[in-house]
Amino acid sequence: MSPSDPREPAVTGPAATGPAVTGPDPSGPAATATAVARPRGASAAALLGSELTVLFRRRRTWAMLAALAAIPVLIAIAVRLTSSPVTPGRGPAFLDRITQNGLFVAITALIVSIPLFLPLTVGVVAGDTVAGEANLGTLRYLLVAPAGRVRLLLVKYAGAAAFCVAATLTVAVSGALIGAALFPIGPVTLLSGDTIGVGESVLRSLLIAAYVTVSLLGLSAIGLFISTLTEVPVGAMAATIVLSVTAQVLDALPQLDWLHPWLFSHYWLDFADLLRQPIDWTSFGANALLQGGYILVFGALAYGRFVTKDILS
Amino acid sequence: MTPRTFTKWLPAIVIPAVIAVGALAVPLTAGAAVDLPDKTPEQVLALVGTSTVDALSGTIEQTSELGLPELPTTGPSASANTGAASALELLTGSHTGRVYLNGPDNIRLQVLDNLAERDLVRNGSDVWLYNSKDNSAAHLTLPAKDAEGPDATTEGGMATPEQLAAKFLSAVDPSTTVSVGTDGSVAGRSVYDLVLTPKTTGTLVGAVSISVDSQTGLPLAVEVTARGQEKPAFRLAFTEISLGAPDASLFTFSPPAGASVTEQALPDAAALAQKDPADPADHATQKAEAEKFLAGVTISGTGWDAVVELPAGSVPADLSSSPLLGQLTTAVTGGRVISTALVSVLLTDDGRVFAGAVPGERLQAAAVGG
Repeated sequence: MSPSDPREPAVTGPAATGPAVTGPDPSGPAATATAVARPRGASAAALLGSELTVLFRRRRTWAMLAALAAIPVLIAIAVRLTSSPVTPGRGPAFLDRITQNGLFVAITALIVSIPLFLPLTVGVVAGDTVAGEANLGTLRYLLVAPAGRVRLLLVKYAGAAAFCVAATLTVAVSGALIGAALFPIGPVTLLSGDTIGVGESVLRSLLIAAYVTVSLLGLSAIGLFISTLTEVPVGAMAATIVLSVTAQVLDALPQLDWLHPWLFSHYWLDFADLLRQPIDWTSFGANALLQGGYILVFGALAYGRFVTKDILS
Repeated sequence: MTPRTFTKWLPAIVIPAVIAVGALAVPLTAGAAVDLPDKTPEQVLALVGTSTVDALSGTIEQTSELGLPELPTTGPSASANTGAASALELLTGSHTGRVYLNGPDNIRLQVLDNLAERDLVRNGSDVWLYNSKDNSAAHLTLPAKDAEGPDATTEGGMATPEQLAAKFLSAVDPSTTVSVGTDGSVAGRSVYDLVLTPKTTGTLVGAVSISVDSQTGLPLAVEVTARGQEKPAFRLAFTEISLGAPDASLFTFSPPAGASVTEQALPDAAALAQKDPADPADHATQKAEAEKFLAGVTISGTGWDAVVELPAGSVPADLSSSPLLGQLTTAVTGGRVISTALVSVLLTDDGRVFAGAVPGERLQAAAVGG
């Protein structure tokens, strides 16, 4: 822990032990206030740095990343220990390919974690952004500087986005490592039946990770907005996660097909288009556009709510 | 709410409004009116005939609203669908595919399924079928004669496209009105809309519209509208197209490691057409079977309201007893009928099959009368 970290006490204080502890550490707010009082440019960077430090030093964050990393490990071990070969077409997509090529562990794990595990962890982080500070009583100290609210909102969103990247990469990297450890690694067969080398397949895995990260940005913006509505972080987290499940349920109802292209979860599983030959970029573009729309709309809502809010804690 | 508070909420009102306007405006500009120099149906048909496009890559979208229930495309039962069921699956619901073409000998078709893909690759006389769902590949070799190009466009002797167009128009004239509809745009290219309207009211088909690219004469979209309906019951259209030779590596296919590969014989019909001298005995029995089959088929009526009758026993027993068929059909007097927006099929209790682009009642009448 570096001495320059302005919010260092908050880390060792209640925040590190999770949301259940509510009493603010007496030294935390004072230290935060000094950071915000610095010149604006430097302080925005410092604020982001301290936000990321707090986020990634939380035990909760590490617990969630560890749980995500465990998903590909579980899949790989289960497939490895099963004596009978996996029947094609049964279980999650690509499951039958794992025994031939360990690189598919990462892709199967991403498919498994997209509907629930990734939105769950992103919902926890995004729902905690503003409500968590309000709950700890640290929010008003973060806002003593003029025009601090917009900057704080941006920094909070950047923190949530950084967690999206970290969560996706955790699944992908852990999957690739356990796949390489337990299964042979070789040329990868694409959906089109063409075969690509290991180097290009790593590149495609990174593209898929980028796709999944982008997919989660809209949900993060929704979580940020909900987080500005309440001072109870658990409520914001639960609401965000419930919304992500609701969107997927609505997406599965054929009667609502007019609504489907507008649901933030609509393109979540379409990353398979990156496994075609040649790559089909249509869904990547459509997904990015959709998520961008959600970021704009819910960012504007969060702005409207946050800058007009009476902050008492 | 104070004015100051209101300005803070302004972005939250303006941004969704802008997005809503944008979402409404984009399809409008895409379908904006196109004004091309007027052409008669004959000239548009001739344009199709002179089309020289033989290399392209594009994305095709197919949507069907035939009134059939959508077949399950996920779950364990989906992979069990074979043969007729998978062909039915392609006709119902919506699909996106990509097509790559370089001359008649290099073809690649991809049906983009959810987390899966079905491929057809033709490279000269080699044809590969690949299904990523069960990682299976099938290979067949076309006879040399076929590989030279059985393209319909190359046949037709010395006739010029204009003559062919005139011939076609006079041939369909008794049953069909051919007209040129409103110019539009498909996949960003301006098109002539060739509309075929049946003259009879006895058919379910309201109109068939073919969108012909105004520059190259390439048909870019086909729409079939059922009688009395606004939205097309079946539509097959390019959403994206670029002319020019695609990457040659797309047409080379070798089955991936671990795939189950089957070598398939050519289907009977193709074997008949090629008159293979290598195996005359087999060929003769096949031909006899096909002739016997064709002899049983009768077509009553001409044009759009024609009814095709297949003799008893022409439907495999496993198909007619399949539970899927039970779901699709409704019981009527004398058999079971499948009615869709465009086509009806009647399976009579004595095993005969009647089909046509006509209402189910007409098929029943044909079954009783014939």
